[in-house]
Amino acid sequence: MAAIPNVRLSLSSKAENVLLVRQALSGMAETIALDPIELNDVSTAVSEACNNVVMHAYDGEAGPLEVDISLLPSGLEIAVRDHGVGIRPNESDREQFAGGIGIPVIRALAQEVHFDDLSGTGTEVRMRFDVTSAPTLEPAEEEDAPAPLPNADAPIASADLLRFTVGPPPLARAVVPRVLAALAARAYFSTDRISDTQLLADAIVAQAQGSLTTSSLSVEVELQPRDLKLRIGPLGPGQGEAVLQAATVDGMGPMLERLSDSHEIATSGGLETLNLHLSDVR
Amino acid sequence: MPGTAFAASTPSIIPGVTEDPRELFLRWQRHGDASARDALVKRFMPLARSLARRYGRSSEPFEDLLQVASLGLLKAMDRYDVERGHPFQSFAVPTILGEMRRYFRDSGWAVHVPRGAQERALKVRDAQERMANERGHAPTANQLAEYLELDGEDVIDALQAIQAYETVSLDAPRPGADDDAGAAYVDLIGGEDERYELVELDVTVSSVLGHLPPRERLILKMRFVEDLTQTEIAERIGISQMQVSRLLRRSLDQLRALTHEPGEAR
Repeated sequence: MAAIPNVRLSLSSKAENVLLVRQALSGMAETIALDPIELNDVSTAVSEACNNVVMHAYDGEAGPLEVDISLLPSGLEIAVRDHGVGIRPNESDREQFAGGIGIPVIRALAQEVHFDDLSGTGTEVRMRFDVTSAPTLEPAEEEDAPAPLPNADAPIASADLLRFTVGPPPLARAVVPRVLAALAARAYFSTDRISDTQLLADAIVAQAQGSLTTSSLSVEVELQPRDLKLRIGPLGPGQGEAVLQAATVDGMGPMLERLSDSHEIATSGGLETLNLHLSDVR
Repeated sequence: MPGTAFAASTPSIIPGVTEDPRELFLRWQRHGDASARDALVKRFMPLARSLARRYGRSSEPFEDLLQVASLGLLKAMDRYDVERGHPFQSFAVPTILGEMRRYFRDSGWAVHVPRGAQERALKVRDAQERMANERGHAPTANQLAEYLELDGEDVIDALQAIQAYETVSLDAPRPGADDDAGAAYVDLIGGEDERYELVELDVTVSSVLGHLPPRERLILKMRFVEDLTQTEIAERIGISQMQVSRLLRRSLDQLRALTHEPGEAR
């Protein structure tokens, strides 16, 4: 039974992206009221697995780093994948002898760990964590498969580009603003604009809910200094405009337009994406 | 530390710890040889240090965490069974992490926001105000990190914490309020609320907006009608930008909840 992940992050294997994974985990922890010590365990183990990809998978270069977070009835399953040569099961023992502590840390903190060689296309570390606060969200269902933005399958090749998919909505509400705020901080936004980015993320999550063609929300982010470009979807026909209109505060106009510098609705294959551009120019 | 993970296991290049750890464990565990114990501590302290750094994640003072990790290391050295042939690390890592977990439990870490995190959130809030005043515009997270000599991630977490824990920003003393004990934000807000009642809003107070207190309506209007930055709003109202941020977020959530029934697609 291949569970559909509640959160999928498609990143480049840059050290600074591991922070985004931790922010997503913190958001998830908030949603399911996870004990802070258990969050610390999960966060530490997952960071070790990600750092391993950052340091070893691509021989010093950057390549795709994918993280799937799934809520199970009794805990969490998290998979960290690369398309290169990350941790191999037989190397894990060698690493222990050699003085590395990444693998022992993961083994000590997760209840179950699998290292999979993805037949020449990469490596996957799959960790299961039992948690005391039973997740209150339903695990994502089959039809919720992240089916996502156009080009969503293209591997992330650039450090300035990333994609993430989150569902169902209560989880998106906690995860999307956190991840986007962290990106705004990385893009050298002022604290004013970081907060605006959170407000914008809140509005997107709330208003897109009824307009998505899946129960997961996908966001693609292109990051430049003082500049964020967001693509949000997958929205049904005509729904981009509906989202913009719905995010209107009485007497104050459309919020998404106020908070962003510009916006457009792009159509591809019958689906729409809402593209928002945020900058911080002083 | 790239490159160290797969480095050759022996011999150690650390001066004074070139001896075979197996020998050292036997000398310590069977004969109580203190010099062997010292050599083991020296050899494996980097492991404890590294775990304290990785597992602690800065919510507690590093020195405290290191002390706890060292205690875990000593326990692991006493209990490790050389004869079983497993490397010491694979036994020591869970022991040390277990010790740190216990410490977190005992210090109430699971119930409360860690003290260190709270203090840091306040520092970030205060520094934000100070820097915004000095420069006339809000600082970036990086500038705050540099100013406070914090990790960038700590600042991001602090910004989140202020959103999440209302009491952190509301009940804390205002900066420079030492001689004016007890003057917290809550008091000032309470005092100023009456003034807001007198403010004429040109915004049509629709039935939905009417559910919000006047101060919240004013902040919304300043941000979305007058297009002021949060820092400018903060100055005019006399609260912190972080609080403006939190109030805006909460107000907009309330408005959404009032406008749309859950699940209604509009």
